Amino acid sequence: MASDPFAAPRASDGRAPDVFTRGGWVPMRQYSDDETVDFAVVGTGAGGGPLIAGLAEGGFSVVGFDAGPYFRPLEDFASDEREQEKLYWNDERVVDGANPITMGGKNSGKAVGGSTVHFAMVSLRFRPEWFRSRTLLGYGADWPLDWREMWHYYAKAEKALSISGPVTYPWGPKRPRYPYRPHELNGASELLARGAEAMGMKWSATPLATVSAPHGQSPPCVYRGFCRFGCSTNAKQSQLVTFIPRALRAGAEIRDLAMVGRIEVGPTGLAMGVHFFREGRWRFQRARNVVVAGYAIETPRLLLASATDRFPDGLANSSGLVGKNLMTQSNQAAFGTMEQEVRWYKGPPSLSITEHWNYEDRKDFAGGYCWMAQGPLPVEWATIQTSSRGLWGQALRDEMEKYNHQVGLKMVGEMLPDERNRVTLADDKDQYGLRVARVTYSWGDNDKALINHALDQMQTSLEAVGAKNIFRQENDTNHLAGTARMGNDPRTSVVNADCRSWDIPNLWVCDGSIFPTTGGVNPSLTITSIAMRTAERIRTLAKRGEL
Amino acid sequence: MTDRYPGYDVLSKRWTQSWNEPTRQVIDRRLAIPREPRFFSAEEWRTLCAVCDRIMPQPPDRPPVPLPAFVDQKMADGMLDGYRYAALPPQGDAWRRGLAALDVAARAEHGELFHDLVANQQDGLLRRMQNGELAGPEWGGMPCRLFFEHRVIPDITHAYYAHPVAWNEIGFGGPASPRGYVRLGLDRRDPWEAPREATEGADHGV
Amino acid sequence: MAENTDLTAPGIALLGVAAFLLSRRRPSTAVVALPVPVEPPVGRGTAIHAARRLNRAAGTLAASVLADSAVEHYRGSFHNKAMFAPLVTSALSLAVSAHGVADKRPSAHWVRDTVYGVAGLTGLIGTAFHLYNVGKKPGGMSWQNLFYSAPIGAPAALLLSGGVGFLAERVRDNEPGTEPMIGGLPAGRVVAAATGAGILGTVAEAGLLHFRGAYHDPFMFAPVTIPPVAAGLLVSAAYGPASTERRQTRWWLRLTALLGFAGSGFHVYGVARNMGGWRNWRQNVLNGPPIPAPPSFTGLALAGLAALGLLEDHPDD
Repeated sequence: MASDPFAAPRASDGRAPDVFTRGGWVPMRQYSDDETVDFAVVGTGAGGGPLIAGLAEGGFSVVGFDAGPYFRPLEDFASDEREQEKLYWNDERVVDGANPITMGGKNSGKAVGGSTVHFAMVSLRFRPEWFRSRTLLGYGADWPLDWREMWHYYAKAEKALSISGPVTYPWGPKRPRYPYRPHELNGASELLARGAEAMGMKWSATPLATVSAPHGQSPPCVYRGFCRFGCSTNAKQSQLVTFIPRALRAGAEIRDLAMVGRIEVGPTGLAMGVHFFREGRWRFQRARNVVVAGYAIETPRLLLASATDRFPDGLANSSGLVGKNLMTQSNQAAFGTMEQEVRWYKGPPSLSITEHWNYEDRKDFAGGYCWMAQGPLPVEWATIQTSSRGLWGQALRDEMEKYNHQVGLKMVGEMLPDERNRVTLADDKDQYGLRVARVTYSWGDNDKALINHALDQMQTSLEAVGAKNIFRQENDTNHLAGTARMGNDPRTSVVNADCRSWDIPNLWVCDGSIFPTTGGVNPSLTITSIAMRTAERIRTLAKRGEL
Repeated sequence: MTDRYPGYDVLSKRWTQSWNEPTRQVIDRRLAIPREPRFFSAEEWRTLCAVCDRIMPQPPDRPPVPLPAFVDQKMADGMLDGYRYAALPPQGDAWRRGLAALDVAARAEHGELFHDLVANQQDGLLRRMQNGELAGPEWGGMPCRLFFEHRVIPDITHAYYAHPVAWNEIGFGGPASPRGYVRLGLDRRDPWEAPREATEGADHGV
Repeated sequence: MAENTDLTAPGIALLGVAAFLLSRRRPSTAVVALPVPVEPPVGRGTAIHAARRLNRAAGTLAASVLADSAVEHYRGSFHNKAMFAPLVTSALSLAVSAHGVADKRPSAHWVRDTVYGVAGLTGLIGTAFHLYNVGKKPGGMSWQNLFYSAPIGAPAALLLSGGVGFLAERVRDNEPGTEPMIGGLPAGRVVAAATGAGILGTVAEAGLLHFRGAYHDPFMFAPVTIPPVAAGLLVSAAYGPASTERRQTRWWLRLTALLGFAGSGFHVYGVARNMGGWRNWRQNVLNGPPIPAPPSFTGLALAGLAALGLLEDHPDD
């Protein structure tokens, strides 16, 4: 039987798990706590992973910390919804506000590779206008990044993640061909396509980070459908099997089961390193630079928890914006039953997409959204039935038996930044003795208008393909962003375009928290692209002596 | 009770390419869950069993999925959801308080403890809890609607639909690794999936 | 679970291939029911020799189609009864081809002619049917559907088998000692041109599917580089002077023939490389690279070589 990845750190003794074999190892360089490394990166997900790899490949000494375990998918991943909850950040967080956010599997990972280990692999580019949504579209905030530069990094990220996508993508400016071809459509995604065509909309195979043909040690996808519960075949191009192995080869150290609880700031006002809990005790790693890449809850939590006399409101918080402007994405859905068998549990859940309403501005609300085909497995499907329709008892059993005939469309919608939606520290403590995050969220009027519009549209699409008994899931959200936004002005942002904090020049933030707006598409590819850019920028700055 | 997929048993695939070793171990552990409570007291357990029977009634012609045991396991092992509504206490406290309050409500309305009521009466109380209509000092400020939505329903229904018996009932393919699926289209199935439903008299859900 | 019932289709395919290979090695024990009269040995330079080589080419194509359509239509669960048609016709084409290889008489056989005709027709109808299916899918004639809907090139291989067989009969159906002619044209030229076109069509199919596989392995470029050269040389032979020594063309065709078998080898490796490897064959044989497809190149290359032989033995200029 395989060793328990939770029992003790696997990355130690000069080696790290080989994620492509059962019980295998790869060599890993290690640094002592007293050695001052160039970069301590907190988090190994969509932001941390590419940054650790990029910095190590640039010759820096880097240690990447992750609070979660270091899995070998082939030996550790079961085909089971409940068991695989071990991939999620399931530590306590308090949620409140008018529309409290459901945390856990929908938006947080706790493992080397972060939530990319269980993400749905949807890899989309922002619409170019979103980088200047305040100026061009009249809502949200402008980014300090130019879309043409982002187009360059998107292409690099798509190549690094071997994205399988359509030969030509029907929306937005020209982009290079995806490295791999699209996947075959399953029944649920064909129904999205038929519905879109009936409504006169374009649709496309979804660009996905799971390979449609062999790549390196990744076999092609076998369409097992458990994508959001960890890929047990390594077809999924998560950070765990892409950038993290690259980082190790380039000399980075990864510390699993290492929870960073505080960033130490010295008398000069510079970050000195990080305090982290590993193997039952608190330790301190010295570092010349600290990068926080813990995503939109853990990043502000760490910055706030690291407050000192000099920075009483938390680090990098002179703007007062750390923790504020938290954004989630609306993830409402419409579901119905078909006469045909759909058996939507087969294949990646979102094989087709329409971004129509991301690129169509004739609507009476700000922001955009897309929708995708769906394939919830039984436990998630029960959650949808109970939370959307209040079903239980025999009524629930009866509805659940229609499982193989269900079809659904689920949106990913842009919610607008609002300072009242925020992350603060609650008084409760977690298992590390650290104050847990309090996540406060309420939808605005624009958010509600967008959701209603989307629900109507999705319902129309389902009706067009003959779905019956249509109902709406009105309460779901996913993905996170904001809480440490980037900008051009230290008064209205936390970090600059290089993800460098305005207040502490050797403290950086590199994950979805830096998003000023969240767009109407899944954020992971944008996070990864920005992380790849940040790595390059740091190398450039170092050459110029500006670190 | 219609048996939509007669003869289909996910467990029969245990030694095929559909199941890998980690999955076999996980499902073995699930099927072997101890039936005795570790977290709940005897009184709480009786109430919990009655609640489970109403939230997820099970056909009499097979051994029931031991739902109370799964709820107990989640509490005893401290398996968290990743979030907690600010108005709800920690999960174990919520269950204890909620079950006790349900007994109080049962006694107040029907003069008996919840588990002694008939199904109708139990359903009535649960529905009132769902609608947020139960209150009193025994709830300790915990909104009964939130308790119902975020503890009672998910803890019980998730346990049920994570069980192979439920997968058989709904025709889910079950574990799938290393072998996934080949035939993905509408009205297409692989030989290792649940057969098409028996057509005579079967409600196709339309 | 009905874990064992679906060996049937691959089984049929294997039997077909085995039967054909056997028939090639020992023509006297041909498994076909048609009577094979014993004739005096046939000289290398005669039209009958060329015709038999074409029969062999048609048979190779038929074997590839038989195995490929068995696997692919099994994947499609034979949801339409017409999906059995290519299995039946390609099996028959295989059988009459074996008969043709053994038969040394200088005249076409009506059974062979009929079977080849039906096979060709089946291929034609199949192509149309597959086109219709692609058109029905959302997106119509899109890359998505060309990749994953009914493959248009696959039934065309059956058309080629029937076509090559038909040509074999026409070559054979000439007065011994005379110039073999087809429709008033020199047979060698007709066969060379048709075969060249067939190779190019097959290249298009391989190119499409290897594009779907993102050319993830450099060897995947082989079927889109080597056979086109062979096809080009063959077509130029069809239109060029007949009495020229065409050593280069011959070698490219031999390389193409070899590539057909090597391709199957690569595809066997490809299946092993997918998740679960050969232990997960019920998925990987169907979703992995198609093992029976590449020998289509071999069949066409054999036809091309036969055409070259005809051209050289019967120079018409």
